[in-house]
Amino acid sequence: MIATYIPGASWLHRCPAGLKLIALLVVSIVVFPLTNLWMLTIGLIGVAACYAPFGRDAFVQFKRLKPIALMLAFLFGFHIYLGTWTEGLAVLIRIVTLVLMANLVSLTTRLDDMIAAVEPLFRPLKLFGVPPQRPALAIALVLRFVPVLMSIHEGLAESYQARSGRRRSWRLIAPLALQALAISDHVAESLAARGGSSGLADTRMRR
Amino acid sequence: MALWTKGRAAARECGLDPFRSTYAVLEGASLELNGQPVLKDITVSLKERRIGLVGLNGSGKSSFVRLLNALRLPTSGVVRIFGQPTPDCAADLPKHVGFVFQNPDHQAIFPTVEEEIAFGLTQLGRDRKSAREEARAFLARHGCAGLVERPISTLSEGQKQLICILAVLVMEPQVLILDEPFTSLDGLTALRLSQKIAGLPQKIVMVSHDLTTLAAFDRILWLEEGQVRMDGVPGDVLPAYAADLERRAATESWTGSSL
Repeated sequence: MIATYIPGASWLHRCPAGLKLIALLVVSIVVFPLTNLWMLTIGLIGVAACYAPFGRDAFVQFKRLKPIALMLAFLFGFHIYLGTWTEGLAVLIRIVTLVLMANLVSLTTRLDDMIAAVEPLFRPLKLFGVPPQRPALAIALVLRFVPVLMSIHEGLAESYQARSGRRRSWRLIAPLALQALAISDHVAESLAARGGSSGLADTRMRR
Repeated sequence: MALWTKGRAAARECGLDPFRSTYAVLEGASLELNGQPVLKDITVSLKERRIGLVGLNGSGKSSFVRLLNALRLPTSGVVRIFGQPTPDCAADLPKHVGFVFQNPDHQAIFPTVEEEIAFGLTQLGRDRKSAREEARAFLARHGCAGLVERPISTLSEGQKQLICILAVLVMEPQVLILDEPFTSLDGLTALRLSQKIAGLPQKIVMVSHDLTTLAAFDRILWLEEGQVRMDGVPGDVLPAYAADLERRAATESWTGSSL
């Protein structure tokens, strides 16, 4: 979800995030009991066709299936061993269809739209005194600081290598955790300096 | 709910006057952190357009500027911002006193540039959509239209710091505090950013070790061990400060005792 969004103006980009998420949910539910290979294949072709607006980049997107290829091969083999190859193929098509469709949603939905779409689900938190925008902020912070922590780890690893000659070590976990805690202090301060996590519109004392 | 309305009422009644020319007044302000005195009995009022803060590490510069937007509250004494003591107006201050931190990676909260800028606007109560549109227009006005969709993590250090400054400016504060904003930047980028800052309508309080940039300021405060050692125009304070650094480098050991 971090780097996958591709700016564009296709019909999928214009489609509201909530609708896309609901469509994904509905298709997931519909596809699971389906065993008819023809219908499954039509579904797969339909989803693949939705990649058309990306032109050549679509094939780059299909490569995203690579990391799960091993798992798919294992599942296919498992079904051939215990059942029939048609069952195996059905499972394969089902998973590929859903992964491609989910990827399509991340490709065409901005992160903040996605967060806004799921925010209503957090509304019950209000009963416990937690503003519903809090989880959205948390998601944004995670996405923001994963690359930051990765580059800090990179820096620690370099510094470790420069004096030990070895590349990676479990010893880096402790300093990385300490740095993460130090950063969290800084970020909390920065958030407070701009009005805190509840915003300035409903001004409440921060301390 | 009761707490919410109470907080809101307190903010409305806090009576802060953002058009007052003397924006900050410290009256015998002291600060202790973990039992250690950091600032000692400081009395000073700030009204100049550009004020620079110099001093060694640990002299209290960062704590001093944090008193100005209630990130820290004085342990004793009073800090008034726009006429109001900071504890009363803490929740309202981010609107009037913007703060730019040393390390942009510690300041930017959101994954992309547009979200980072839009955050300040939603903080002020704009809805998400108009905040986004305003953020885009604002970035375009500052020559950053090309950065709108970029993840913060892919920006250069200079771009990151610029976005951090813009993210604060979009909230239209009257005072902008910068805590060593050029530390991680190369000479060219630092020069560009300091020119950008010089052209801002905001009143500026900047902590810096860059004496060349500070030479163009209106007033310099030199802090030493939590107290104001010297206060005046750059032409007086900066040469004295530089001479003191030379003297101490020649005569003091690493632990501060005389050689």
